[in-house]
Amino acid sequence: MRTVMEIKNLNLAFGGLKAVQDVSFNIFENELLGLIGPNGAGKTTVFNMITGFYRPDSGDINFVDQRLNDKSPDEINRLGISRTFQNIRLFNKLTVLENVLIALQQKEKLGWFESVFQTKSYLLKEASLKKRSLELLKIFDLDHLAEEFAVNLPYGRQRKLEIVRALASKPKLLILDEPAAGMNISETDDLKKLILFIKEKFNLTVLLIEHDMKLVMNLCDRIVVLNQGQKIAEGRPDQIKANEDVIVAYLGQRSRKAQT
Amino acid sequence: MNKKKTLILIIAFVVIGSVVGFFLNSYIETLVITFLITAMAGMGLNFITGVANQFSLGIAGFMALGAYTSAVLSKLVFNDQWYFVPITILAGGLVAAVAGYLVSLPSFRLKGDYLAIVTLGFAEIVRVMLLNWNFVGGPRGYNFIVKWPNFLAAYSITGLFLMITFFVLYHLKISWFGRNLWALNEDEIAAEVMGTPVANSKRLAFMISSLFSGIAGGFYAHHMGYISPGSFGFIMSVQILIIAVLGGLGSLSGSIVAAAVLTALPELLRSLPTGDTDIRMIVFPILLISLMIWKPSGLFGREEIWRVDWSKIKKLVSKKGVSS
Repeated sequence: MRTVMEIKNLNLAFGGLKAVQDVSFNIFENELLGLIGPNGAGKTTVFNMITGFYRPDSGDINFVDQRLNDKSPDEINRLGISRTFQNIRLFNKLTVLENVLIALQQKEKLGWFESVFQTKSYLLKEASLKKRSLELLKIFDLDHLAEEFAVNLPYGRQRKLEIVRALASKPKLLILDEPAAGMNISETDDLKKLILFIKEKFNLTVLLIEHDMKLVMNLCDRIVVLNQGQKIAEGRPDQIKANEDVIVAYLGQRSRKAQT
Repeated sequence: MNKKKTLILIIAFVVIGSVVGFFLNSYIETLVITFLITAMAGMGLNFITGVANQFSLGIAGFMALGAYTSAVLSKLVFNDQWYFVPITILAGGLVAAVAGYLVSLPSFRLKGDYLAIVTLGFAEIVRVMLLNWNFVGGPRGYNFIVKWPNFLAAYSITGLFLMITFFVLYHLKISWFGRNLWALNEDEIAAEVMGTPVANSKRLAFMISSLFSGIAGGFYAHHMGYISPGSFGFIMSVQILIIAVLGGLGSLSGSIVAAAVLTALPELLRSLPTGDTDIRMIVFPILLISLMIWKPSGLFGREEIWRVDWSKIKKLVSKKGVSS
């Protein structure tokens, strides 16, 4: 399998706190990799380093054949990595359509002159952008809400729209930050189907950060477990379930004794 | 905006111009030109503060740069020929745009109040610099600037530039660049993650805004015929900020309406009985404060006038009429 992303010996400290220590793992093409760990394990920190919000103190993040360490978030997006947020961050007072358009237009060559004079070729480009956005929204059954303000959508649809917006920038790697947060069982079930669907449909590699163990165990091909800034396990879901270190990290020392 | 509406606007513009020019006195004429200039500055500020949500309190500084550049150039280079004035005004705008670029360099990571303080500081630096620069008159100001030969020339050229300002800014607002600015207005982090070049967009928005502010400043200089550092103080920045907020942050046509209201209102209130105190100065702020209480998003919110849903407003008004 081809490696899409390679993370090597990543380190980041906030003052005296070593948030991430020597973390290495690979992400392979077309896989669904889960990144889990107890609160404060450093998942989000790793995330923020991949997406360019934090600079690692040392180590490498390579995406296909690009080094991401010194790139800014918007450059990283244009290389083909897109993400959603744990607490939804839509453009609230813009319409659903505009939310998607903003992500979609970044790879488009749109000039200054043509937009100031609203030339015919510009209006055509704009129309085709809108058409493509609507087509994308239609796949997720959101097209009838295109003119609605994003803030007025119900929670589940806002999550969905965030995923659509992330897909609009045509990523190779999609990173989902706790997409199931705040969802009930049936919504989580829908989400699971949605993730599998987009992975197939858009030929994606997905990195999933999640607290919902059931979802992660059911969905992911491989799982990386972090605890206190270090990687403690990596493997298939059944391997992770049986891993001693992981059980200790989640449940504590005594429960292991109780088990044995 | 379609062709029909544009045509109506141009006809209205010509009719107003000729009525004022041929039938009314020079007091009204001065007011009309002042309105055109403040509308231009208001739109310039609205682009950066309304659309891109970058709170700027330094527009007087950019206007001062445009005004002084244009005044000095037309005196020293173009020998006080008024028909070269549009060129010098454009040059003034470019100088202001360069200044806008320089200001954006250290400040594009700042937001809200902090950015406001930086821009305010910039405006003060410009003012104090001009105050101490003897070449442009220092505190005495710069006098005998070439003025427009008559009202019609002033009206048509200023009006033309106002239309260009609106044309450019409005089309930028509704195009891809405007969408990028709305995105960073709403949520900078999300915009960045979606691939919007945030720092670059802000910088360009700053430059575009200061370009038009500088042009407005140039028109101010050639309208007044005399400028001094004192005329570009903090008060001027605030006045133009009020125009942008009153018309609706993000509504360019709203800024034009607000400029008309804020130019006319103090003059209309002149007729109020004034004893020892100037009642005008009490009524005016009260009007502004009440508007901010009942319509905090400004007159038109984000939308342009012709896109405002009037039926909703009519319903609201008629409901109130029934209940009272």
